[in-house]
Amino acid sequence: MSSLSRRQLLKTGLAGGLALATPHVARAQTTLKVVWMGWPDNQVLPLMAEFEKRNPSIKLAVERMPFTQIFQALEVRLNGRTPDPDIYIVDSPLTASYAARGHLMELDALIDKSRFAPAGIGAASYQGKIYSAPFGSSMQVLYFNRSLFGAAGVEPPSADVAKRWTWEQVVEAGRKLAKPAENLWGFTFEQQERPYQLLPLGQSLGGVALSPDGLKASGFIDGPAFVEGFGFMQKLYTEAKISPPGQFDTALTPELFGSGKCAMLLGGTFIFDTLKSKFPNLDFAVAPHPYFARGKPVTPTGAWHFGVNPRSTQKEAVAQFVRDMLSYDMNVLWFKLRPYVPTLNAVWQKENATFSSDMWKIAQSEMQNTALARPATPGFREYEDILRVTLRDMQSGGNVKDMLTAAAQKIDREIAKYKG
Amino acid sequence: MPARRWIPYAFLAPALLGLVIFRFTPICLSLVGSFFGQSIRGDSIFVGVKNYAELLGDPAFWSAVTTTLIFNLIINPFQVVCALALAMLVRRPARFIDVFRASFLLPMTVSIALTSIIWSIMLDPTLGPVNGFLRWAGLPPQPFFRSADQALTTLILVATWKGAGYWMVFLLAGLLAIPKELDESASIDGANAWQRFFGVTLPLMKRPLAFVLVADTAANFLLFAPVYIVTNGGPNGATQLLMFEAYQAAFAFLNHGRSLAISTIILVIILVIALFELRLFRSEDETVA
Repeated sequence: MSSLSRRQLLKTGLAGGLALATPHVARAQTTLKVVWMGWPDNQVLPLMAEFEKRNPSIKLAVERMPFTQIFQALEVRLNGRTPDPDIYIVDSPLTASYAARGHLMELDALIDKSRFAPAGIGAASYQGKIYSAPFGSSMQVLYFNRSLFGAAGVEPPSADVAKRWTWEQVVEAGRKLAKPAENLWGFTFEQQERPYQLLPLGQSLGGVALSPDGLKASGFIDGPAFVEGFGFMQKLYTEAKISPPGQFDTALTPELFGSGKCAMLLGGTFIFDTLKSKFPNLDFAVAPHPYFARGKPVTPTGAWHFGVNPRSTQKEAVAQFVRDMLSYDMNVLWFKLRPYVPTLNAVWQKENATFSSDMWKIAQSEMQNTALARPATPGFREYEDILRVTLRDMQSGGNVKDMLTAAAQKIDREIAKYKG
Repeated sequence: MPARRWIPYAFLAPALLGLVIFRFTPICLSLVGSFFGQSIRGDSIFVGVKNYAELLGDPAFWSAVTTTLIFNLIINPFQVVCALALAMLVRRPARFIDVFRASFLLPMTVSIALTSIIWSIMLDPTLGPVNGFLRWAGLPPQPFFRSADQALTTLILVATWKGAGYWMVFLLAGLLAIPKELDESASIDGANAWQRFFGVTLPLMKRPLAFVLVADTAANFLLFAPVYIVTNGGPNGATQLLMFEAYQAAFAFLNHGRSLAISTIILVIILVIALFELRLFRSEDETVA
């Protein structure tokens, strides 16, 4: 084999250099920067891979962030007011906040409203225009461990929404099931500090979480219904002692339930499959969300949407992302990967075999009768953060009324900037 | 030769440039930014001293100032005393002394974020191994970070676990620089260990102690990660330090002007306290000069 001459080497190097320098021209590929929730690989990567397969000219650079940090990290990125990221995941009640601050592109031209549940479109809208793409909603059910109930001789709750348990029944059963000294608990919320999961405690007693214009919390979140509802929650930790305190990581509470350390878990439909696959020997079932005996059933809803950064320079590609992700096929895939309550009507209509289980019957009924969205306000980011810390603190004791009044004043101060 | 006069400055230039770019410029920008507010859509608006005036009338700010001062009043002397005690322990050459020195230094190699996560797991009231040990020993489990009464103390202990070994290195260097003859002559003169420590060692340690105290004060005033990761300023504001208040203002409440005003106030507090500490530890030769 003869060695390369200096000229041949130069030619080869030049050709290689040119080839390396022009891959974008040759393949005409666009890369979209996507910020997504830090769900497990097997729930995110197949979705993104499928999109790339269906759209070979678009590559996705997906950055996943944990639930506890994604909102703060997004604030930093978005306030830089650069085109990065092109697409980002949006917690549905934050749609108004991002839209008011110019962080979301209007999507009316890309979304056919008639294909979606009105609640989904409502959660995606701000001042009559769609700013986030409804990619699912959520519903909470009461998971219970049949083995632990059987061993303690406690009658388990029914899957029938007409026979849903009251909170008083949950506490009564929890007392029989919990052994705090042995780290065995009766009941836990999946999201122990999140207004999403805890607001229905006050709403079930008739409370309204924020003024109708979304700009005043005093007199609403510190009203008697929320003082009583959140006071009840506090007693789960301080008096009844049936709930494990301090479990704010939303990955930990399903672990407690799955490992048989907690008999009841009020959690999303989206953890059902994870529980099934991660704890194959766990004997569990679901029941409807509890309510107060002297109140009415109220359940939380709303979930993850995604939005487009208006400063994105890849207008064609982001439009294709929105269109394709909201297609029937991609919605079905997403539902199978992580079973959020679908907002696309066709999924409910064509996948009816899937929805014949107890859990989906409950979810469907709750969506129609008891689901209540979180308050609509451009100040939801501030509202949620202040209330979250207050709810967290309540577990350690303290006067609920005083804590809520202090939180309401702080919320009022912070959301005043959205007035006028 | 006149050109030679510039040589020291040429050597200093890269470090000075770094200081200007990475320290002084952000400080100036922060100071300027504290006089601005922001419209909802992100436009800057000059508001004069409004951010400062609002802070001075805000009980939440004063509560954070009080908590920060209490925290620093305890942690700074505590960390310096712990670091000095460790340095004294590993001062003398002995068998395996390097192993001991390294083991005290080990926490320094763990990032503050990881330290926070490790200790939040260790001290978890429900699942944490520390309470598991307490239960095993027949002692009542403790709430640690979940109690308004214990959270600040727990934070101080965790920060000291991480920081004491680091500050020990500087004090150990100071101790090793003290001529042995001084200690020996005091011993021959009949001074006991305490008298030698307070009469000989401590006066000669003024400079390293001053450096450690000032640097430690600055580090602790800027402590953020454990509060952000573990306590979120709670329970009931028990760990609401000024740095976390500044972070919340910027990234949770989207109020950048308030955040920058708090940062500027933290800087002023650190400067005042550092000057006081330097004066306190000024050695006699510096006073004469």
